[in-house]
Amino acid sequence: MNRSLQIKAGLTIVILLFSLYGLLPTFKALSVSKADREAAVENHDLAAEIAEIDANAIKRGLDLKGGMYLVLEVDQEGMNQSEAEDALMRVKEILYNRIDKFGVSEPEITTFGSSRIVVKLPGLQDPERAKNLLGQTARLEFRMVRPDAEIQPALEKMDQLFLAEATEAVEETVDEMAAEAGDPEVAAEVTEDVDAALEEAEAEADSATNPFGELDDPLATDDSLAGADEAFLLEHPFSGLLLAQPGVIGSTPLFVREENVARVQAMLDDPRVARKLRTSEFQLEMEPMDFGQGQQLRPVYLVETKPILTGDQLTDAISTANPERPGLWQVNFSLNSRGARTFAKVTGENVGRFLAISLDGRISSAPVIQGKIPSGSGSISGSFTNNEASDLALLLRAGALPTDVYIAEERTVGPSLGSDSIRMGVNAALYGSLMVIIFILIYYRMSGLVTVLALLSNIIILMAVLAQFDLVLTLPGIAGIILTVGMAVDANVLINERIREELRKDKTIRASVQSGYANATRTIVDANVTTLIAGAILLWFGTGPIKGFAVTLSIGILTSMFTALVMTRVLMEFLTRNQGQKKMSI
Amino acid sequence: MEFFRNPNFNFVGAMKLAFTMSASLVIVSIIAMLIHGGPRMGIDFTGGSVLQVKISPVPTVGDIRSSLEDQGYAGVQVTEFGSADEFLITFPTPAEVTEAVEMGDEQAITTGVASVSGEETLDAAQILLGDLRASLPGTEIELRREESVGPKIGGELRQAAMNSVVAALALIVLYISVRFVFRYGIAAIMALVHDVTLTLGVFSLLNFEISLQIIAAFLTIIGYSLNDTIVVFDRIRENMKLRRKESYAAVINRSINECLSRTILTSLTTFFVSATLYFFGGPVIHDFAFALCFGVIVGTYSSIFIASPILVWWNGRRVAGKKRVSLDM
Repeated sequence: MNRSLQIKAGLTIVILLFSLYGLLPTFKALSVSKADREAAVENHDLAAEIAEIDANAIKRGLDLKGGMYLVLEVDQEGMNQSEAEDALMRVKEILYNRIDKFGVSEPEITTFGSSRIVVKLPGLQDPERAKNLLGQTARLEFRMVRPDAEIQPALEKMDQLFLAEATEAVEETVDEMAAEAGDPEVAAEVTEDVDAALEEAEAEADSATNPFGELDDPLATDDSLAGADEAFLLEHPFSGLLLAQPGVIGSTPLFVREENVARVQAMLDDPRVARKLRTSEFQLEMEPMDFGQGQQLRPVYLVETKPILTGDQLTDAISTANPERPGLWQVNFSLNSRGARTFAKVTGENVGRFLAISLDGRISSAPVIQGKIPSGSGSISGSFTNNEASDLALLLRAGALPTDVYIAEERTVGPSLGSDSIRMGVNAALYGSLMVIIFILIYYRMSGLVTVLALLSNIIILMAVLAQFDLVLTLPGIAGIILTVGMAVDANVLINERIREELRKDKTIRASVQSGYANATRTIVDANVTTLIAGAILLWFGTGPIKGFAVTLSIGILTSMFTALVMTRVLMEFLTRNQGQKKMSI
Repeated sequence: MEFFRNPNFNFVGAMKLAFTMSASLVIVSIIAMLIHGGPRMGIDFTGGSVLQVKISPVPTVGDIRSSLEDQGYAGVQVTEFGSADEFLITFPTPAEVTEAVEMGDEQAITTGVASVSGEETLDAAQILLGDLRASLPGTEIELRREESVGPKIGGELRQAAMNSVVAALALIVLYISVRFVFRYGIAAIMALVHDVTLTLGVFSLLNFEISLQIIAAFLTIIGYSLNDTIVVFDRIRENMKLRRKESYAAVINRSINECLSRTILTSLTTFFVSATLYFFGGPVIHDFAFALCFGVIVGTYSSIFIASPILVWWNGRRVAGKKRVSLDM
């Protein structure tokens, strides 16, 4: 083997090994069983584990995973440039806040051009609900925070509400088990077991520390409410998910772990909750607070149901430097005359209490009322940085949305269709490749085997590129891969046909292989560059579905050129290395 | 295994026949498009909505259509999709929006398929789905897919699709002109226009819809057909240098023949995979795969019978009487 061939062989092996390594997470993700994925909905440790595997695997597009793609158009007519920009950011802020409530993993919200916002919600289970939520008018409210003393009774009511439900569920399961067993004795035994378990749980729960009996000892309460205490959770389905951390922030002692946010929000969205609690309700904060060591907690507030003020009474909000505390920022806001009157009255009566700013049912912050604000223009100060203050100002302005927003384009794929599409796409790819492989093996025999190896490597490298560069695989993308397989054959056919031609001219085998590759290379490059031009144009102009196709097609052309010109050459020259060889299987 | 050993078909001799046949097919395609008022544009380009729903127990297409028509929906298309219990419901942007756009109403042009911030949500697709549920009591309707495109985006997508096809053609001529001669570029483009026109004609005849996916298929056909053509051109260029004594037509005919095995083989494998996409890829990419299958056939034909023979024809006109011109290397 000569030197350049050795280099090529080394390069091929390195690239293939890297590709296989890059695909490991994808194989792992594929091997996660459906049962595990279903169990992950309940089990958060498992969910985190699976999420980590998925993070490094090939990303599936919305059409394969199910999900929603929205292009929103913000009406900017009659606005100057800065107003238009401001309107766009305000709408984005509102959407960001609402989407956070769906519990969708990895939502993407990006501005596109000067007037559009693109929203991608992968893996969305209920698109109709999501669109209804997105479609609601923004609701900015100021609500009084209820005193801490009311928290415990409210929590008890919540627990009662969901406990009744949980018990019913357990009883149903027991009935089902009994019915399945069909044996009355077994059924009785099962019932006894469950009763015993429930009793035990109750006993344990009673002995568990009452979290709000010791509000002044945060560490102890933290332990008792860690959420890992299964027995306590069984008995306190709602409060078991919460933590008490008094004194961290003044406005509320109650927190929820980030991984439990979706569950808690789902409970709070239950229509029966409003009837049970009547004048007050629990609301979560928009963003989690970082408690160090990877602990992400969100404050939970008990607020009044009736708002003091709504967003339409707010006329403006801007962030300015805090005149009294240099380096810190504050938000100045002003109200219309009706809002000013209400605000003056409420602030006058409630000095020292907390007032929550809530957007679409999520709390942004809950500043303390320091004194009566009579004039209708107040300020919210705290240890805000410049960015935090302008975010809050943006949020306050967002409440009074200045303009209309339209859905200009929507593409939604239900989760069941997504998995059907993946199954069919993968099947088509398998059958197509299999046909090509069989055909090539019959046609070229030993050299056909080299071609087939090149084809398989081509797919592996292509997939690895997708995984490594975080590119998204879509259904048209699978079509692109299948097409690449068809076209990748072409380069190999060109080479093999050339070698056959040279052999017919009675050249030696080694000379035929050499000149076959030399002659075919130019043709292959010319032919592939033109297809690449078409692919590049698609990438450039294409949107959504077309882009996915263009990505795999373009990468496929490049990888197929590599496998055909470098990889097969190494193999072919190795197979024909003997000087005296008389026959070649081609 | 081999398909042909040293083939020597007279492709250039069949030039007149091929040109006549292609010209008539192109004319038929154009007539088909004229009769149907152009190929049917999908909602990607016209604006409107597509709902894919799974309904159980299964109603007939007629049931769905009449229940929607009873509620005043006009221009709604209902077709079975993939399996017997799935249906595709397509309907255009509501007429009042389209009219307003035609009247030049700025507000309506920015209006999409639904309003997010307005007091009422004008989501035509959701309203239709709600009405359908109400009118088919006792059935369960699962929304499998929804695509809605507002009139403004539709116009933009149409523009982008046209731009991309034109830009692709222009860049390809440029590349071929640099690598070969300008004349080759024109010959290749004529073959491509031929391929795309015939595919459009078939789509019109079968009343298939042109969507974004189909535009992607067209660009793939362009890339594929070109691939075929270039391989032959490359061989022509090579043979022009090697066989200076042969006539222009003979060199071209020889080149086509020398590439014939490869052309057929590649076309077959590409056709195989396109066909598996068509049969097993699922209903969503059905039309896309159909366009590819058809495109592979037409593209193979055009690179053998159209692209290279055009060079002969052109050369004949250019140097009537002379044996050959040696400019083409």
